[in-house]
Amino acid sequence: MSVQKQAWNKEDLARRLCHALDIGRQAVEELAEKGYTDPEEPGNNIRPEKLISETAFLLLAASTAADTSDIRKRIEDLARLLIPHARSERMLLGMCLHPAMALDYAQAHLCLARLGYPDANFDLLLRQSMGSQARYGRERVPHRMLEQEWLTAVWENPAAGSRPHTLPSAPGSVLNHSMDLLNCSREDIYALTHALMYVRDFNIAPRRLPRRRAEIMAEAEALLARCLDEQDYDTGGEVLLAWPLTGRSWNAASVFGFRVLTQVEDQAGFLPASSTRLARLEKLKGSHRTHYLLATAYHTIYVMGLLCATALQPGRTPPSRIPIGTVVPGSAKMLLRFLDTDPRSAHWRDELEKLTEPERDAIAGLLLNIAFRRKVSRGEFGVLRELLDAAHALGLSGTPAASQTAEMLERLATFAEIKQTRVEKVRKAEDLEEVLSTQL
Amino acid sequence: MSANGNRHQEIVKRLLDSKAVDFTAIGKAVAELGPSLAIAEEPWEGFCGTMRRFIHIYQIFNPEVPVEELGGLANVAGQLK
Repeated sequence: MSVQKQAWNKEDLARRLCHALDIGRQAVEELAEKGYTDPEEPGNNIRPEKLISETAFLLLAASTAADTSDIRKRIEDLARLLIPHARSERMLLGMCLHPAMALDYAQAHLCLARLGYPDANFDLLLRQSMGSQARYGRERVPHRMLEQEWLTAVWENPAAGSRPHTLPSAPGSVLNHSMDLLNCSREDIYALTHALMYVRDFNIAPRRLPRRRAEIMAEAEALLARCLDEQDYDTGGEVLLAWPLTGRSWNAASVFGFRVLTQVEDQAGFLPASSTRLARLEKLKGSHRTHYLLATAYHTIYVMGLLCATALQPGRTPPSRIPIGTVVPGSAKMLLRFLDTDPRSAHWRDELEKLTEPERDAIAGLLLNIAFRRKVSRGEFGVLRELLDAAHALGLSGTPAASQTAEMLERLATFAEIKQTRVEKVRKAEDLEEVLSTQL
Repeated sequence: MSANGNRHQEIVKRLLDSKAVDFTAIGKAVAELGPSLAIAEEPWEGFCGTMRRFIHIYQIFNPEVPVEELGGLANVAGQLK
């Protein structure tokens, strides 16, 4: 096999997954019973259900990669540790009192049952809740509907194997519509990444995508650019999942993104989120300190675990080097001129320095997406126009982010015309008033 | 290039071929309205609190500050098993 096509070292992926599972064990031991309450920053609060469900989700993903005894043993140990929490009286009561959220409370139970740890009594109460009048008593947006449909499918038919149809809510979700790549919120990105996880089921019982993979991946690349530039590794890791969840090929941008995440993880010792603040940690002691660190860090660590687990599946492993297809020599250099005027520094820039010129040119599309996002967020529309010119000259304008930028500039041109017409109307009215006042 | 790629390219070309517009000036005008227009980060699931009681798995609170310096984080990583 050529160096170019050599796959990422699987032992390295397994080591990263084991790290996530180890943190999972610690998080369950420390936080699963009471969750976490942060008196200073309520945004850091964690309900036990959230941690428990996410740990079960990680276990399910990890099970698809469990081809080493190290991983298998960790899954078994963590599953056994999680069971009493997943099926606690709190969870049972949640289903009794909130039948519209029965599947939410049952998520960890269903994942564990699928892993070979069933519980007939929990199923009995879940069935009763699901049969109640209030079962559909709460409206959900499409990706949350997909979550419910996925959980129902896991419950009714947990067996592996491709399914012929997509989930019912997939056509109404963002998987079937272009995302707003220039001004979307983090919640919008989560809508895409979660919808993908539910429809593809970690490739255990994957369903068809409602849109062509290439279209979704082109949008995912623009979202990845944003996450890398904002150093938002939580959503960035989820966006990267899009590649191994939907197919066997990783493109240059996704391999680069994966490299950035692994480098950051190696340097920090874990993949960090911005919610972990060192100044807060310094003030805390003992278990308060450990709980704060776990509560703010576990989630992004889990996301890295999900990513590595999926990347360990046969045929889903990224290449170790950036794949170089057809590139325009010098394209990265040209686009970096738009970015290097900006003092902002991000970890991806350090990683870029390690690439060869052809590798940099291979990720020119990602650099373009970063530039689009930065210029839009600052309202530098004149520069955006120049950027589109450069992209077109480089043959990089055939992307959804480029065409959405062009559409936005067209709308802004119309806005300017309307504004000008109004200004002229006001001026004419003022002139007329002046004429009339002099005549009187 | 795929049909979809061609479509995107055509949209870009349409803009590039259109009459000259001073987008820098528009940018300045929009900047005046910018802060009050920035609704994108308002979580829509918070509308009227209709969805606040869902268990939001796999979403994380983002305080919108940069990730801490990696060396500093490495010093505390030992506390994670």
